[in-house]
Amino acid sequence: MNELLVMATIAGRRCAFRADDVQSVIDLGSVTPVPHTPDFVAGMTALRSQTLTVIDTRRAIGLGSSEWTSDHRAVVVLIAGFSYALLVDEIEDVTTGLAQTGTIPGGFGAQWARVATGMIETRTGPALLIDLPILIAGPDRSEVAA
Amino acid sequence: MDELLAEFVAETREMLEASEGEIIAWEADPSDRARLDAIFRFVHTVKGNCGFFDFPRLAALSHAAEDALADCRAGKREADAALVTAVLAVIDTISQMIDAIEAGEELPEGDDTHLVAALALSAPTSHPDGHDKGEESVPEDPIPPSRTASIATQRSIRLPVDLLDRVMSGVSDMVLARNDLAHRLREAGNQPTIDGPFERLTSILSDVRDAITRMRMQRIETLFNALPRLVRDLSGELGKQVTVDLAGGDVELDREMIEMIRDPITHIIRNAIDHGIESPAERVEQGKRESGHITIAARQSGNTISIVIGDDGAGLNEDRIAKKAVSSGMITASQRANMDREAILQLIFRPGFSTAEEVSTVSGRGVGLDVVRENLERVGGGIKVSSTPGIGTLFTLQVPLTLSIIAGLTIESGDQRFAVPQSYIEEIIHASSNALDFTRVGERSLVTFRGKRVPCLMLGDVLGLAESEISERERTMVMLRLASGDLFALGVDRIHSHGDLVVKPVAPIVAKSGLYAGSTLLDDGKPVLLLDVTEMASRHDLISPAQAQAPIAGEESDTTNVNAVRVMLFTGHDGRRCAVRLELVRRIETAAASVLDLSGAKPRAVIDGAIVPVVGLPEGPLPAEKLRFLRLFDGASELLLAVREIDDAVECYNTLQPASDDPMVEAITLVGDRPVALLDAHALFAKHGEAPEATNLPWCRLPDSEWARSFLAPLVRSAGYEIANGTDRREDVAIWFDHEFQKVDEPVTAGDAPIIRLRDIPDAPEGADTIYRYDREALLAALTEARSGRAVAGGRT
Repeated sequence: MNELLVMATIAGRRCAFRADDVQSVIDLGSVTPVPHTPDFVAGMTALRSQTLTVIDTRRAIGLGSSEWTSDHRAVVVLIAGFSYALLVDEIEDVTTGLAQTGTIPGGFGAQWARVATGMIETRTGPALLIDLPILIAGPDRSEVAA
Repeated sequence: MDELLAEFVAETREMLEASEGEIIAWEADPSDRARLDAIFRFVHTVKGNCGFFDFPRLAALSHAAEDALADCRAGKREADAALVTAVLAVIDTISQMIDAIEAGEELPEGDDTHLVAALALSAPTSHPDGHDKGEESVPEDPIPPSRTASIATQRSIRLPVDLLDRVMSGVSDMVLARNDLAHRLREAGNQPTIDGPFERLTSILSDVRDAITRMRMQRIETLFNALPRLVRDLSGELGKQVTVDLAGGDVELDREMIEMIRDPITHIIRNAIDHGIESPAERVEQGKRESGHITIAARQSGNTISIVIGDDGAGLNEDRIAKKAVSSGMITASQRANMDREAILQLIFRPGFSTAEEVSTVSGRGVGLDVVRENLERVGGGIKVSSTPGIGTLFTLQVPLTLSIIAGLTIESGDQRFAVPQSYIEEIIHASSNALDFTRVGERSLVTFRGKRVPCLMLGDVLGLAESEISERERTMVMLRLASGDLFALGVDRIHSHGDLVVKPVAPIVAKSGLYAGSTLLDDGKPVLLLDVTEMASRHDLISPAQAQAPIAGEESDTTNVNAVRVMLFTGHDGRRCAVRLELVRRIETAAASVLDLSGAKPRAVIDGAIVPVVGLPEGPLPAEKLRFLRLFDGASELLLAVREIDDAVECYNTLQPASDDPMVEAITLVGDRPVALLDAHALFAKHGEAPEATNLPWCRLPDSEWARSFLAPLVRSAGYEIANGTDRREDVAIWFDHEFQKVDEPVTAGDAPIIRLRDIPDAPEGADTIYRYDREALLAALTEARSGRAVAGGRT
């Protein structure tokens, strides 16, 4: 049960990624914008011979990005054969999850609940465990329209 | 299976594939000695090789075919359709036996006497027993030694595809790593001790990459080669005439992909011939050429290959498709009522919409289109159809290459770089080129390319990039030719480099935008997106719906003639080069300035006793004593167009580009390489023409014959007459056939109208007062004379 987690701050909230899902943490170099894609696609960047799609996690959750600072590093994850670099406020540390993910009465709020598997207790306090495939799919269309 | 045998199988296979195309070409032109020789070499080689192994059936068959062909070579018999069919049958059987040998099976027992007999069926032209003597007539050494040698040196081994995949992706990564290293080395400056070995690494890597790529790749030709034969057989079976055009055979495709699309392509061609292309009689009735035409073109774009299969048949029948879908319970009748043609056509890809009820030897064997689509989508491809009734059907298959190395061009717009697959690029026209003739019509930008107006997209606009500092007119144009044959220009700020690009697929969220076919890394390590040219064009409606615009050899002249506009070129008094449609020009007049009446609000002139409005006069004093006019006639009223100089009457094939700035100009077009304003006759007459009173038109009585109605009447009308019908006694002039006129003692015309007599022979007898019936000029002159006589003298006897 003592699962390794990569801790990060997204839009001021503490979040966790499963360390198994994370390939590496890289220094984000130049990002090439990709026109005509949803706003949470920040662009593309290169990692060695690989091309990464850079996702702004704040926008992917459905929150604005402008009010948050971004870490110069990014979390690289592999989802369905494609590599993504996740842009977050700050990458903190690797820590251990202490219990099963759970939920709390009242929920986390609609936008957070959508991208989170649940709440997880860690040595450094509770955090939201992020569901990566849902995160990179971006906000629902209905939310975008709203 | 021992090595020798495996080689025999491989070699025979290769030759089989190569010879199929040859044999069809040979049938089309039996006198083509080169083809005959090629086929002969094939059967001869098979026969020769059989000697090493114990394949009596194979030997007997190839021997018989060789004999028959040898007779043809010796001129003892003609290559007729029966012979070609017989030879094809033999080749088919050989191919089946080869399959059996490869599978390690015993050769099936079988009787080939009917095949051998078929070969003998078409009797030799001069020697009835010619084929019996075949053995003697075989030339001693018909195969050039070099060919045998080259084939013998090809050896092959079998490898699991997995392994090839691993090697291939490893090499691709090596190329990228090398690029990365190269970039770092450049940054670090010159280091002779490293640069040398690095150069060597680069060249070795590029060799290895080429070899590896070729390992998995096969030219699509290997698939295409079999198609002419398929088309020939099917069309023969169905009593239709179909020609086939193949393009892009050099496009390389993963071997497995080729296998995957083999069935779908065959299926689509079958359907096209069976259901799409009409019988020769129907085609002729519809004004199409007797033989139907199928085009198959392959093109590579990023990590997809598009294969376009088009026919010029009747198009998909939406009613039949809908009816079938309703009857099979796929959709309800009310759903059907709400579906447009496009939606109905897409039903053919739905599961359950199989052509099973029409199982025949032709269409029955194919898999349903739903399976085709499913298979393609499973590997990330797709299939689309578009069809125009009466014009044809166009299937587009998209086959992916998950990983590929393609030649590409890097372009830049708004400070961002993109890549375009080289295969689309027809030409790059640099900004400074005057020939480009950039114009805007409405919202659409146009450039002139090889004398044609081509739509133009600005990459910056398409992608919504930052405004470029380079003005639209000074951008570099990349001319892109799509698989469908459509052409468009892409305006970019500048061109960077040509080179091989390792294309990787983009993440689904990026792919969803539809604009990108993949991504690649440049030498400096920056990612660059590969543009999906086809999708970009289709979003801007630049792809013609069906075959109509696809370039079809031989038909171009027909279509352009239809579109040609015949115009009279002239230079106006304002120095502008203009044109009017030739149909309007009745005559070129040269008249003294004295005929002009400039006293009224509008200038007029007296021509042939009539007062006609004049347009196009220079301002100020008249330049000369004599003036040149184009006398325009719209069927009712006349107009004199004053011109400075008359150039020529030409046919104009170029696109007419509508012009809206000048109400008197219908369009701008190119004649030679200079722009010409085509005057808007409608506006001209609307503004300046004087509508004559309707009753004012003179009447002309025509002889009662079909020829008069269909040939004479339009001419007479265009000369400004109404046709007097049977009961009407009014007529101002009458046209008679001379031979009828002679029979009548006292020709009666109302009001003693003048009579124009027509004769049937061009040469007039001495002193005859008749006009040859096709002497248009004289006829028109006579009609005009009769008319002006009426106008001036009020009729004459």
